[in-house]
Amino acid sequence: MSSRSRSSRQGSSRISDDQIVDLVSKLRSLLPEIRNGRRSDKVSASKVLQETCNYIRNLHQEVDDLSERLSQLLQTIDPDSAEASIIRSLIM
Amino acid sequence: MMHNPSKVKQKILKKFIMGLRSCNSSHENLSVSERRRIIKLSADLALASVRNGSRRWSRAIIEEASRSPDNKGLVQQMLGSDGDNHLPGPIPWEGRSDRNGAGHVTKSKSVVAASSKKIVKRCRRVRRSNGRAPRRNEAASIAKRLVKKRTQLLKDFVPGGRDMDDVSLIEETLDYMVWLRAQVDVMRALACSLPTTSS
Repeated sequence: MSSRSRSSRQGSSRISDDQIVDLVSKLRSLLPEIRNGRRSDKVSASKVLQETCNYIRNLHQEVDDLSERLSQLLQTIDPDSAEASIIRSLIM
Repeated sequence: MMHNPSKVKQKILKKFIMGLRSCNSSHENLSVSERRRIIKLSADLALASVRNGSRRWSRAIIEEASRSPDNKGLVQQMLGSDGDNHLPGPIPWEGRSDRNGAGHVTKSKSVVAASSKKIVKRCRRVRRSNGRAPRRNEAASIAKRLVKKRTQLLKDFVPGGRDMDDVSLIEETLDYMVWLRAQVDVMRALACSLPTTSS
């Protein structure tokens, strides 16, 4: 963490306009819908924040769904025996 | 933000499987819901441990998991081998630890929609009372209020978010989004590679 970011945080919990622009543009570049869809200059900060909440919420939902699915799959499978082949398949 | 995604995912997978072993070894007959809970916890802890405590959200996940006595064994097992690496050192500007809650809470879509409607109604009211479009600084303050509102919502989605200032929150979010995505990819890859047939 640079000292520059530390001093910008000192004494203020409110986000400044410049900080909004910088951070929101980074968020925007990570969001799949916005990146692939509309023109980036038209998307407002609040919209980006909303999309970010949606994105993270959807990921949490996927974690829950996958946990459910894995709980059924792993009832009979010993994780050790599957580990080697899975790791091999993940090496891209 | 993530230099070598496949290497990271391998690490997450190794840690994840470490946790999954406890499903099979500790108890003969776990209920489906208990198994699901352990699987999810293993995945979350795998992510947090690979991130290695360098981010608030990863430390928040570990702290929140450690609070429940049911989880102590699993936390120890998954993080114990790396040693106590939760904090790289004292962090002066951080205040009290999070005493509030059990981590991230999913807000229903209706809550978000309702608050959005309220904001739009407020904007329309302002416009009508002036008889013309709001002046530039009014529009700017409305925009600021929207950003503030949405930032508050975001706090519930990022582990440890409730204690963060706005700037930290967005920085943590940027990091968390990418790593959470990796966790999902690992879980999905595992689920897809396991045989589905049962006798």
